[in-house]
Amino acid sequence: MNTLYQSIGLAALFLAADVRAADIAKHVVRTQIAGIDVIAYRTGIKDVVTIAGALPAGDVFATENIAAASLTGSMLDKGTLTEDKFAIAKQLDRVGAQLGFGVEEQTLTVQARSLKADLPLVLKIMADELRHPAFSDEEFTKAKIAIDGSMQQQAENTGFRAGEAFSRAVFPAGHPNRQASLDEWHAAIGAITVAQAKDFHRRFYGPSHMTLVLVGDLDIAKIQAEIKRDFAGWNGGVAYRQAPQAASAGPVTDEVVAMPGKTSVSVLMGQATGLRYRDPDALPLRVGFAIFGSGFTGRLMGTVRDKEGLTYGIGANMADDTFDDGDWRIQATFAPSLLDKGLVSTQRELQKWWRDGVSAEELKAKKTDMIGSFNVSLATTGGMAGALLRTVLRGYPLTWIDDYAKSVDAVNLAQVNGAIKRYVDPQKLVIVEAGSVGTATPPHP
Amino acid sequence: MSSSPFKPTAIFALAVAVLNAPASPAAAPGGASGPGPAVAGFSYVQSAGGIDEYRFDANGLQVLVKPDHSAPVASFQVTYHVGSRNEVTGTTGSTHLLEHLMFKGSERFNDPAGDSVKQYLGARGATFNATTYFDRTNYYATLGSGDLEGYVAIEGDRMRNLWLHDADKQSEMTVVRNEFERGKNDPNTILREEVQAAAFVAYPYHHSTIGWKSDIEKVTVEQLRAFYDTFYWPNNATVTFVGDIEPAVALNLVKKYYGAIPRSPHPIPEVVTEEPEQTGARRVTVNKPGKIGSIEIAYKIPGALDKDIPALDVLGDVLFSGKNSRLYRALIDQNLALRAGAGLESMRAAGLFEVSASLSPGVAHETVEKIILAEIEKVKEAGVTADEVSQVIHQHHAAQAYGRDGTAAVIAQLNEWISAGDWTQYIRYDDAVARVTPAEVQRVANRYLSIKQSTTGWFVPDTSK
Repeated sequence: MNTLYQSIGLAALFLAADVRAADIAKHVVRTQIAGIDVIAYRTGIKDVVTIAGALPAGDVFATENIAAASLTGSMLDKGTLTEDKFAIAKQLDRVGAQLGFGVEEQTLTVQARSLKADLPLVLKIMADELRHPAFSDEEFTKAKIAIDGSMQQQAENTGFRAGEAFSRAVFPAGHPNRQASLDEWHAAIGAITVAQAKDFHRRFYGPSHMTLVLVGDLDIAKIQAEIKRDFAGWNGGVAYRQAPQAASAGPVTDEVVAMPGKTSVSVLMGQATGLRYRDPDALPLRVGFAIFGSGFTGRLMGTVRDKEGLTYGIGANMADDTFDDGDWRIQATFAPSLLDKGLVSTQRELQKWWRDGVSAEELKAKKTDMIGSFNVSLATTGGMAGALLRTVLRGYPLTWIDDYAKSVDAVNLAQVNGAIKRYVDPQKLVIVEAGSVGTATPPHP
Repeated sequence: MSSSPFKPTAIFALAVAVLNAPASPAAAPGGASGPGPAVAGFSYVQSAGGIDEYRFDANGLQVLVKPDHSAPVASFQVTYHVGSRNEVTGTTGSTHLLEHLMFKGSERFNDPAGDSVKQYLGARGATFNATTYFDRTNYYATLGSGDLEGYVAIEGDRMRNLWLHDADKQSEMTVVRNEFERGKNDPNTILREEVQAAAFVAYPYHHSTIGWKSDIEKVTVEQLRAFYDTFYWPNNATVTFVGDIEPAVALNLVKKYYGAIPRSPHPIPEVVTEEPEQTGARRVTVNKPGKIGSIEIAYKIPGALDKDIPALDVLGDVLFSGKNSRLYRALIDQNLALRAGAGLESMRAAGLFEVSASLSPGVAHETVEKIILAEIEKVKEAGVTADEVSQVIHQHHAAQAYGRDGTAAVIAQLNEWISAGDWTQYIRYDDAVARVTPAEVQRVANRYLSIKQSTTGWFVPDTSK
C-alpha cells in the first residue's frame, strides 16, 4: 500500500543523448551525519531546494498488523511531543515550504521542498517529526477513520483494483510486492492500537539505514551542520529486508474484478521476473520492454492504439524491483465492448515480440531514447534528487548515474532477445481485468 | 498551492519576480529593436522577467524567448488560441480530436518515412505531448538543445500541412472515445462536468473539452479539416522557447520554419455568445454505482485577467490549502471529509470558484454542504485575518520559485497565461497576489460567492449494485 500523508509537490551537469561521462558523482558531497547517509548536490537553480529521503520502515516490516507502517507514517505530521500539528503546519505554510511522508513496501519516504533560506526550518521539523511523533489517541483515531475511508474510495478505482489483484496473483503470500486485500486492510486498521504504532516506531525508525538527498541551491557546509544538530543523538534503524524470490510463472490466470457502472476496463497482464533492478539480465530485459511498450513509440502504442484504435493508453514495463525481485506488466484500458479485441491484439503483439525479438534498428533507436530521457529527467531538482535516491536504494554507487549512458549503450541485441526469451513466457500469463466485464471469478487465494 | 490560478486539468493528446524595464513600444516592422537581438523580420514587443516577446512581421506569429543556459536542455511550445470554447453542438470535442490527429503526420514528416514527430522526439529521449483545454491547444517538447531545430521544423510543418486522412480519424476516434470512457470511470469527473454544464448554459464552457460522446463518434474528417483551416494559422498562435538557446538563434529558427506560412486568409472567428445572468441557485445530482459521495459548489467569477482574480485566488487558499485552512479544520480534521478543495477554475472569458469535498463514509451530504456554506458566510461577514492572507502570499511566492525548476515547468505555466491573453502575468501575477488585502478578500467573497450565482452538485452513490 502506497500512502502519502502530506501533499508535496537545475541544472544537472549532463550531456545530451551522446554517450559521455557527466561527472555528477564527482560533484556530489556524500557524508555520514548523525548516522544518516547524506547526499548533497548543488545545482544552478536559484533559491530552491528539493529533498528526497528514505528509511526502512515500510509495510514489509509490519508483520504483526499490516497497517502498522502506514498508521505510524500517518502520525508523523500529526504533532510531536513539543508542538501540535497546527503549530507545525503554520511554520511551514508561512514560508511556503512543503514536507511530506509516504509509506511504501520497504520504505518510509520523505519529500520536501523549500526556498533556500527556509531549509533549516524544514530540516528541524523533519527531524522532530521523524524522531518525536506525539501519537495522541485522538489523532490516531482520526487517522484510522481517514485511511479506512480512503481505502473505500480506492475500491472504486479500476486501476487500483486491477493492481491489487495482479500483485496477489503474481507474488506469493509473504512477498513484499503482494498487496493485502482491501478487506485485510479494513480489518487491520480496525484492530490496530496506538501502542502497536508506537512500538513500530521504536523498533524501526532510526538513522542507521536512512538516506537523505538534498539538491538545489545549497550551502553544503551549512546544511551538514543543521542536519548534525537536528538529528544528534538519534539511534536505531534496521536494514532493508530482502524477501525470498517469488515463484516462477505459474499456469495461466485470468481474473475478473467485477465493478458495476464502469465505462472503461483496466487490464494488467504479466508475470514475475525473478529479477531485481541491478541483476545483470535486468537491463537488457528493460531495454526490450522499452522497445515493446514504452511511450508513444513503443510497439504497443504503435499498433494497439495508433493502428487499431483500441485504447487510449497501453504500455509495458518492469516494476517493483528496487529491493526485491519484481514483475513485468502490460497495462491498458479498453471499452468493455472492445475488451476482447484489445486482449487479442495485445497478446498477438506480445507473442510477436517474444517469438521474433527486437531488431537492431529498434535497439539503436531505443538506446538513444533511454539515454536522452534519463538526461532530461535530471534537469530539475526533483528529477535529480529522485535519481540519486533511487541509485542508492538500488544498491549502486553514485557513479552509476554517470555510467548509465555507457551501460545502456553496451547492451547488445543478443542480450536483449535472450533476456526476453528467458524471462517472459506468453503461455503462462497472469491477466486481470477490472471493470464492468461480467461475472466475477473467484479472487486469487 | 500553485503559482497561478490555473488548474492542471487539461486533457492530453497522447494521451518574486520584478517586471523588467517597461515594455518598449512595438518597433516598426522590418527589424527588431529593444533589448533583444536585431533579427530582420521581427518586431520587438516587450520584455518581462527575462522573457522577450517578438512579433514575426510576415505572418503575425507571437514569439517568446527565455534563455536559460544552466543545462543543455530546451523546451519549445506552440500554443494555438483555439479550444473547446470554439466548438458548437455537433462538433464538440473537435479541438481535442484534431490535437490527436496532429500526430498522424504530413507529407514531409510521417511514420512511414521514419521521421514523424513521435519518431523524431522518441528517438531523442524528449518528453513531449499536447493538451487541449477550453481556450487553447498546446504542443510541446523538452529535449537536448542540440536537437531542438528538428522539432521546430516539424511544428512549423504541421501548422498547415497536416494529412488529416479519414482512416486516421476513424482509428483515433475510438482512442479518444476510450479517453472519454476512462474519465467517466471517475464519479468526481462526471460531477465536475455536470456542475460546469449547469453553471454555463450558453457560453461554450458549457461542454467539457473532451466533448459529448455522440459528437466524438460522428464528427467527420471534413469538419475537422474545416476546424484546422479556420484556426491553425500563425496569427492565431504563440511559439515559446525556454532553455539553452539564444534569442537570435530562436528567431532565426522561427524565420526558417514558419517564414513561408502566410497569415490566415480570413479573420480568426471570435466567440460572440455571452452567458446570460444567472438568476438563482442551480443544483445537479449524479447517481452511479460507488461508495463515497461528494459535493461540489461552483460560483461564477470573471475571466482570468480580471483584477479580482488574485483576491479570489487568496480566498481559495484561505478556505483550503493546508492544515490551518478553514475547511481542513472544519471537514478533514473532523473526519467529515476524506478530501476537500477550494480554488479557481480560471478561464479566459469567465471562470468558476469551486469548493469540493469527498465525504467520509456515513457522512450526509447535507452536513458537509451546510458546513461549507457556513464557512463561506463567516468570510463574508467577518472577513479573513491578515495572518491568513500573509501566509497564502508566502505560499504563492514559494510556489512561483518552485515553478521555475526546469524548462518544462516554465512553458507549462506560460502556456496558461498565453491562453488567458497576457503572458506577462506569468511574471506579474505573484506581485498582484502579494498586494491582496484581507478587505479585498472579504469584498470578493461578498461579490461573487452568492448563493444565487451558485451551482451545487452532489454525487450520490448508488449502493444497490
